[in-house]
Amino acid sequence: MDRIDVALIGAGRMGQVHGRNAARHPGLRLRAIVDPRPAASGIAEELGAEIAALDAVLADRSIAAVLICSTTDLHLTHALAAREAGKAIFCEKPVDLDLGKARAAAPRFEGAPFVLGFNRRFDPHYVALKASVASGAVGAIESLHLVNHDPAAPPPGFIPTSGGLFRDFTIHDLDLARWLLEEEPATIYAAASCLVDPEIGRQGDVDTARVVLTTASGRMCVISNTRRSAYGYDQRIEAYGSKGLAVAGNVEQDTVRTLTESGSAGAPIEPGFAARYVAAYRAQLDHFVEVAQGRAASLSTFADGVAALALAEACDLSAREGRAIRFQGNPT
Amino acid sequence: MSAQRRYNVVLLGAGRIGRIHAANAARHARIALAGVVDPIAASARSLADEWQAPVTSLEAALADPAIDGVIIASSTDTHLEYCLRATAAGKAIFCEKPIDQDLARARSAATALSGARLLLAFNRRFDPNFRALKARLDSGALGTLESLQITSNDPSPPPPSYVAVSGGLFKDMAIHDFDTARWLLGEEPVQVYAVGSCLVDPQIGKLGDVDTARTVLKTASGRLCVISNSRRSGFGYDQRIEAYASQGMARADNVVASTVQVWGEAGAAADRFQNFFLDRYAAAYRHEMDHFADVLAGAPASVGYADGVAALALAEAAAESVRSGQPVIL
Repeated sequence: MDRIDVALIGAGRMGQVHGRNAARHPGLRLRAIVDPRPAASGIAEELGAEIAALDAVLADRSIAAVLICSTTDLHLTHALAAREAGKAIFCEKPVDLDLGKARAAAPRFEGAPFVLGFNRRFDPHYVALKASVASGAVGAIESLHLVNHDPAAPPPGFIPTSGGLFRDFTIHDLDLARWLLEEEPATIYAAASCLVDPEIGRQGDVDTARVVLTTASGRMCVISNTRRSAYGYDQRIEAYGSKGLAVAGNVEQDTVRTLTESGSAGAPIEPGFAARYVAAYRAQLDHFVEVAQGRAASLSTFADGVAALALAEACDLSAREGRAIRFQGNPT
Repeated sequence: MSAQRRYNVVLLGAGRIGRIHAANAARHARIALAGVVDPIAASARSLADEWQAPVTSLEAALADPAIDGVIIASSTDTHLEYCLRATAAGKAIFCEKPIDQDLARARSAATALSGARLLLAFNRRFDPNFRALKARLDSGALGTLESLQITSNDPSPPPPSYVAVSGGLFKDMAIHDFDTARWLLGEEPVQVYAVGSCLVDPQIGKLGDVDTARTVLKTASGRLCVISNSRRSGFGYDQRIEAYASQGMARADNVVASTVQVWGEAGAAADRFQNFFLDRYAAAYRHEMDHFADVLAGAPASVGYADGVAALALAEAAAESVRSGQPVIL
């Protein structure tokens, strides 16, 4: 199969992860990087791509696909422009911070070659857990416990543009809940605090949260979030079924255990998303190539992004108002 | 040197948990099992014979100046009354949880029981694993505690006849976890939100109870605790705590029946968890009885009437939250 020419839009933290994977991918040729910042030229040089303007990339019919890794406020603008230009689109999450805008744009992406960067859906451990559940090994799923703890708080400058903990961070777990429960939440409750960094609180955000989702059939999901976990990037799923429990545990940096007079000790868990989800990012890109080639339907759609954003908005409302939110597509 | 004195205690209630406490009391170096009381004569007789103790009555035990204390392991509806009668008779009290099923009634006993020599048997506080977890937190090695995850899943649901008189999942089962939360947080929850479903056994739902629940507690300083409960895990008695602190996390994991693990073509397999509370908390029950010996000797109880009332208040709030669908402010 011919390589697909692809452009990277945004060469920041996530852009560099996806750009490097794209540059090495046998199904892709990383042609261009769209990023006005001076640092981008070094990355372009490293990856053998050229710096290009967005308009030029969109007008170039030989570039069939784009990887949108721009700042969150530009995701939707870039996605719509790329869609207009007929490109296959990989877009980092979230689709937007504004639910109304995202909903209004949703019809444009129905059936489109569009993969949203909900990386957990492509993590081999989580994929294996879902397969184990689907096999019936633990019976029917009754409840979920999702742990998602970041190693360290983002810089304060990131908080005002992030959309807050729920839209920026919890959104991954809200998507996982939908993916694993295969049923939409009917009620949402979020308890949240600022315990890690008072600066986050001054900016009106929270850094520690617990979310409880219940579905119409009474199934439950608890989400545990913090912006700072001193022992690494804590990423786990527990799926409780009628006949047992399926657990996807943390990935340790190596398998060595030492046993001494004071007890036993193991290696730290993976320190952050780049290391923990390295395989997920690759699998996600593999999937995007298949979608761009027309060989697969997207496993992580724009509509999934809208659904998770709506849940994030409900979490935010619940935490602010201290009440549980009924959810039927819209938080009320 | 004279032999250390053994304190005479009488057991009230020769049921499942009573038999555990009878054995631990009878085998204890500082305690003598001096009588067994049970309305079912055959139950009282068989347990009394097992430990060569007499069958007696509550009235006789309370009137006997040679009896130092009572172990209340009778049905829940008698706990509070027996506590009141025993303390009026000047006895030290070991009382099974819950102190009562009715918060107002439990609170009405405050005058009589606040100063009582009363050990309320929240067994988790005496479990060596959970104690070790608390010791790590108290040492400061992990920084400041920020949040807790308490998992308490029973292996299989109790019979409907038990559910009907249990007071419901929150007062009967989650009450342990409410106490554990208070014990570890060292701070009272001010907000309680709970969801409950009947997913395990429709019969439990018909009786108006739930069998699956999640509760979120929030303290005044913003610390959070999630409690997970199910009446049926499908994989044994699932009893775990994770304590998240500013500099690390402490976890007390399940205790396995054996440490054997096997690897085969299909993967790895480990042994099942110790099944149900009589096994899982065997050491905790012994430590509880050790502490009761201390209380009999005059030491203050580390967990007592006020803790029982506080946990009951959280259980009532959780049940109210399930009914209303909204968090309850305490």
